[in-house]
Amino acid sequence: MIRYSIATILLLLAAFVVQQFLPAFTGIHHSRILLVQLLFLCCAVTVGQPTMLLLAFIGGFFWDAQCALGPHGGDPEVYRQQVENLRFGYSILLFGGMGFLMQGIQPLFKQGKWHFSALLSGIAVLLYLTAEYTIINFVRGEFTLSRATMLQMTYTSVLTMLFSPIVFWMLFTIARSCDHSIKPEAGRRRRPR
Amino acid sequence: MKPLNLIALLLFLGGAVWALTRSDRSVREIQNAYYSAMAPFLKSGSKLETHARAFLEETRHSKKLEAELETTREQLGRLRLIESRFRALEQENSQLRHALNFKEATRFDVVAARVIRRNPTTWWQTVEIDAGSKRGIGTQLAVLSNEGLVGKIDRVDSGGERSSVLLLTDEKCQVSARVEGSPEVGILSGQRGGFDADPMLRLRFLSANAAVRPGQRVFTTGRGGIFQANILLGTIHSVDKGALDSEALVRPSVNFADLGAVFVVLSADS
Repeated sequence: MIRYSIATILLLLAAFVVQQFLPAFTGIHHSRILLVQLLFLCCAVTVGQPTMLLLAFIGGFFWDAQCALGPHGGDPEVYRQQVENLRFGYSILLFGGMGFLMQGIQPLFKQGKWHFSALLSGIAVLLYLTAEYTIINFVRGEFTLSRATMLQMTYTSVLTMLFSPIVFWMLFTIARSCDHSIKPEAGRRRRPR
Repeated sequence: MKPLNLIALLLFLGGAVWALTRSDRSVREIQNAYYSAMAPFLKSGSKLETHARAFLEETRHSKKLEAELETTREQLGRLRLIESRFRALEQENSQLRHALNFKEATRFDVVAARVIRRNPTTWWQTVEIDAGSKRGIGTQLAVLSNEGLVGKIDRVDSGGERSSVLLLTDEKCQVSARVEGSPEVGILSGQRGGFDADPMLRLRFLSANAAVRPGQRVFTTGRGGIFQANILLGTIHSVDKGALDSEALVRPSVNFADLGAVFVVLSADS
């Protein structure tokens, strides 16, 4: 269990490195594969709550370190209505929320029905992006939602979700090598056969 | 709830509150540490990307011609910048002669850099360039291309070899702008979620009866302490007149989809 938890943390950190080399698909409304979020979501359904929260903290913290913009700068007399930054650390809470959502279907996952988790990972990414965009609108004012933004969020969620079977396969492999079962009830049902 | 889960939740919330209450300076330090750790991966990644791009370009041009073209482009960019600077100086000289309040303008020094990564984040419009503090680059410096203003430096990696540029098309990149041939002055910025192939900029806070029309060019005013004066921003596309103020949509002069070489202005008027 501990070995598997450490492996998921290392995997999440590795995802940050790989994410650096995943560009936006300009032809598909600047959508992208959110590997960090996907890996966190898939891990969240396979671990207990304390480990999930630790992963959420690490994921959110480093995600904000990667994406946070600097202060506006310039003369405040000229730039009177400066555009607000999102607070560093907001992603930690979003990751935590997504993690709890994934843990909601942990019983199904433990029965071996990982397909539901794969589908939910796409929905969770869409919710994550929607929440993030809503926060941006709330902080900066003037709610705007263009068709391009909606398509960007949708395609990003779908593209990310398509990679979830690969991530689950990786997690099953890692769990096996750590002598840890991440879907114990499925294993128990199979054994009598 | 199990006691262990409750403790984990409390620790998580405590950690989140700690992160949310970091100052801008602390966030910059965290970012520097993060990008320092990422630097070896980013360096090897950008090398691979550069090699791949060079290989693709070589199929179209010979290497020698490519180098010559690149040098000529850089020189052309520099000359255009110098030319625009001379025009500004000429105007300034004329004004100062009249006002008898001469203030000597000094140098206009730029550093050429290549764009090595595009849009690394989901919502912000940024690119990364292959020049950093080792070449004298710091935050809040203007970044130009041959066509006009590109944006400003948002972050410089602690390694000193890379910087992040906040593009003019981002909502957060605000520029004090004036409309050519009119007294109108406003604040130009990108639009939220403006990831279209043909992004438009918003020129806000114009007067209610702003005498501006489509086709007029928009330049920087030089006010605000970040961008130098008379840098081309774009042309007016449409004007929306309101009761209290007017707003115009501006088509940027720079083709942001095809950014290759850019110039960071190290120093201008002193």
